[in-house]
Amino acid sequence: MPRVKLTEHKAKSLILGDAYTGVALGVGDTTAEGTWVVKVDQGVKKRMKQGLVKVKVSSREIPPALSEWSQKGFTRFIAEPFLPHESSEEQYLSLERVRDGIRLLHAKEGGIEIEEHPEKVQSYIISSDTSLKEIAEKTGIPESFLAHLLETFSKMHFAFLEINPLVILGSQVHLLDAAVLVDSAGEFFVRGAWTEDDVVEGRSAHEAEEKVATLQKTTPASLKLSVLNENGSLFFLLSGGGGSIVIADEAALQGQGEAIGNYGEYSGGPTREETYLYAKEVLALMLSSTAKKKALVIAGGVANFTDVAKTFAGIRDALSEVAHELRTQGVKIFIRRGGPNEAKGLTDMKAFLETEALLGSVHGSDAVITSAVDDAIHFVAP
Amino acid sequence: MSTLDLIRKGERGIVVAGNHPGIVQSILDFDYLSGQKRSVLAIITGARKAQKYFFGTKEILIPCYPNFTSLPDSLKSQVRFLFNAQSGRRAYETTTAFFDAFPDALGAHLFAENVPEVHATTLIEKYGGRKLVAGPSGVGILVPGHLKLGAIGGVDPMQIEASKLATPGSVAVVATSGGMTSELIRAVANAGKRLSFSYCIGGDRFPVSSLGDVLSLAETDSATKGVVYFGELGGVDEYEIVEMIKEKKLTKPVVAYIAGIVDEAFDEHMQFGHAKALVAHKDESARAKREALRGVGVIAPDTFPEFLEALKTLPGNDFSDTMSDIQPLMTRQKSILSTRHVTDLESVPVFVEGGKLVAQEGPFGSAVIAALLGKPASSPVTKAFAEAIFTLLIDHGGHVSGAVNTMVTARAGKDLVSSLTSGLLTIGPRFGGAINEAARTWRAGLASGQSAADFVESATKGGKVISGIGHRKYRVGIPDPRVAALSSFAELLQTHPHYDFARSIEKVTTGKNGSLILNVDGVIAALMQDILIECEGYGEKEIQELIDAEFFNALFVIPRAVGFIAHFMEQKENDEGLFRLPDDLLFERKNEQ
Repeated sequence: MPRVKLTEHKAKSLILGDAYTGVALGVGDTTAEGTWVVKVDQGVKKRMKQGLVKVKVSSREIPPALSEWSQKGFTRFIAEPFLPHESSEEQYLSLERVRDGIRLLHAKEGGIEIEEHPEKVQSYIISSDTSLKEIAEKTGIPESFLAHLLETFSKMHFAFLEINPLVILGSQVHLLDAAVLVDSAGEFFVRGAWTEDDVVEGRSAHEAEEKVATLQKTTPASLKLSVLNENGSLFFLLSGGGGSIVIADEAALQGQGEAIGNYGEYSGGPTREETYLYAKEVLALMLSSTAKKKALVIAGGVANFTDVAKTFAGIRDALSEVAHELRTQGVKIFIRRGGPNEAKGLTDMKAFLETEALLGSVHGSDAVITSAVDDAIHFVAP
Repeated sequence: MSTLDLIRKGERGIVVAGNHPGIVQSILDFDYLSGQKRSVLAIITGARKAQKYFFGTKEILIPCYPNFTSLPDSLKSQVRFLFNAQSGRRAYETTTAFFDAFPDALGAHLFAENVPEVHATTLIEKYGGRKLVAGPSGVGILVPGHLKLGAIGGVDPMQIEASKLATPGSVAVVATSGGMTSELIRAVANAGKRLSFSYCIGGDRFPVSSLGDVLSLAETDSATKGVVYFGELGGVDEYEIVEMIKEKKLTKPVVAYIAGIVDEAFDEHMQFGHAKALVAHKDESARAKREALRGVGVIAPDTFPEFLEALKTLPGNDFSDTMSDIQPLMTRQKSILSTRHVTDLESVPVFVEGGKLVAQEGPFGSAVIAALLGKPASSPVTKAFAEAIFTLLIDHGGHVSGAVNTMVTARAGKDLVSSLTSGLLTIGPRFGGAINEAARTWRAGLASGQSAADFVESATKGGKVISGIGHRKYRVGIPDPRVAALSSFAELLQTHPHYDFARSIEKVTTGKNGSLILNVDGVIAALMQDILIECEGYGEKEIQELIDAEFFNALFVIPRAVGFIAHFMEQKENDEGLFRLPDDLLFERKNEQ
């Protein structure tokens, strides 16, 4: 399951609890008097370089900063009391869940420039029988803080935590900047400590991607969609995580990587209705592409348990709605698929495509998995 | 002995946790087509006692238990594997409970995709390298001809045949992706090879069995002569292969395809396919991993068609396909399972021999007939006839309408009285309720003075049928043994005008159609009237009152209530859950106007 990023405000609230003094802000919000650091809180990388952080500002300066950022499309902000410190006091700390435990990376100096100094980073693997005392001594991080951090990490289903810079003044630990990726499969187990509302989107998704993401949340099947080139000529209705990459690879190997309009896959036994809703999004994308010659590739490996006849019926439901437009645009459809009910699925689909004059080619599991995409490439770029 | 050899020696008992009927059925089909005993021993699920599956074309009940510890010892001793079909939320808990209950078990497959990372890493700490645990996610483990633990290789009997899953061979197929495992299994079959085993590691970030674990399994397996591997961009697993080959921990030939070259076509790395198929560092790209593999002698072609060609170079062409025919499996149909023979329909008792009554009257039958008539019967013939009817009519198998309704209602979770009532309410002119009507018919026919031919002519006008005549199964030449046995009571009477009339009607109707014979309803309706008149001194008026009060139908309702209750009880015992008519059995015609 994907790792997703929490807002910095939520991340720090989970780690520090009541001791956290930062405030989450929206446009128009104000803060108490004081000296603040104010930042955009939407999971944006390299905020400082993009001018999305203002350090040592008064509360009066905050509203104009927020309205400036809101003009760029940002909506979530965070303000924290400014902590005077030397840049030489800035440390780096990260935790990541790995196969054999939690990997802790630490650098006593470096802070935000750490990427340029990988040699300064010390790595430790923490498993259930690791002595924290030893790590605390080596890193100089208070053991109690380390223990608390690790407990929060596990209990809150964190997958990755980066504190950079980390500033330790005496026994006080300050998290000047923190980023947390949580394991989205853990949401049920944290019982509301964080929810989907605390997750920030990495980039603004295409409308079709958003629709598929919403659909994904309502089914145990797998439905994924990424828009690559809105004006591409090859559109994909692929099935299977591995098979879909093999098919996309074939297009890239044939020099048609740029022609790929979308990538994605449906698998894990979606129903006819779910497949219909998914296919509809891909078809809408394809119809709005300005490419002159367009092909739809419906392809995948030999399914283990996804019913070919049933999912193809869902795809036909979507195709029927736009068959006329597809014909007008000269679209042809190319198929390669195998799995349960393969013969019926392919026969029904072929008959449908013939009737609708959309037939490119139809291949079953006796043909190579790349057959359909090869035919489609030959059609759009002969 | 390696775990794979133990499996090949028959250590293959599976417990299923959760619900995925399609996959469980495919495991049973695999067992059947491989000529093995069934491997699925039990299912862990709440609120059910059994689930029905096919084994070959026969329907069987697989027992269900609420948890692993409640399995009977006879099954416990056979358990070696867990197929965990539960959701990601529960998969961890169930898996640890399984190994706690069966510490000597050989392995498990976790089907769920959304197992939390911390659960997966805890499972690795507990079982990694010690048990064969495929997943979280993916499609499981296959040892051809012996074990199918999951959806691996497909769920359709045609896939089991096309991918030659019943035939042991010498190529090991290893992949993270479930779909590509199935694709490669087929590709190996198409390349004229057979599998030694296949192991789908699972596309999640933290699979319990690592690639290294599985490759070690392939290296030590004497049946395996070569390895086919499918990997993707993202992660560093492939460097594990490189190290193993360098350290001579993997010496068998490897053919690999690493997918994800398409990532190079974009400026920004994006998430392809599986959870871990995202490039975080340069050396996680498909190209880098492919080249590293080539560096140690792995055949790792650029394109998939080249990869398929390379499969043919793997050793191992000696095998023989001996799979059973799949055709019978393609047309099988689900039914309502009835496991109880309520009465033996084949054996019919002898009531009269040499003109003498040999049947015993029973106290229950005598008491019932006395209750219905309002006074005790005086003749042993009457009492014996009542006893005979009650004995013969208790049940007529699970196919008949009333029994079906009782069973369907029982499976809907209803109580005894509701289920029984549902069966009883089915009794009417077309099912079981024809005795009274037949009694009326024989009486009216006799009183009319018409010839049998004339009576049939007028009674069947407009396509009407005569109650007490006709049978679906029995016909002229195949007499109904129950009718023959009951008819022998006529020998005990001086006169039997109703019976004679009914037989004369039968003579006419069978002249038209051999199946229009006198049936059980008809013979009871005729002889009961003759017996009441001759042995109990009933007059015209009293007989008419009995007909008006539906006395003759009561002769059916009373014993059949017992049969319905027996069918109710068997359904409660089988506990199959709600019945739904199989799709093939309901023909829907949409209104076209």
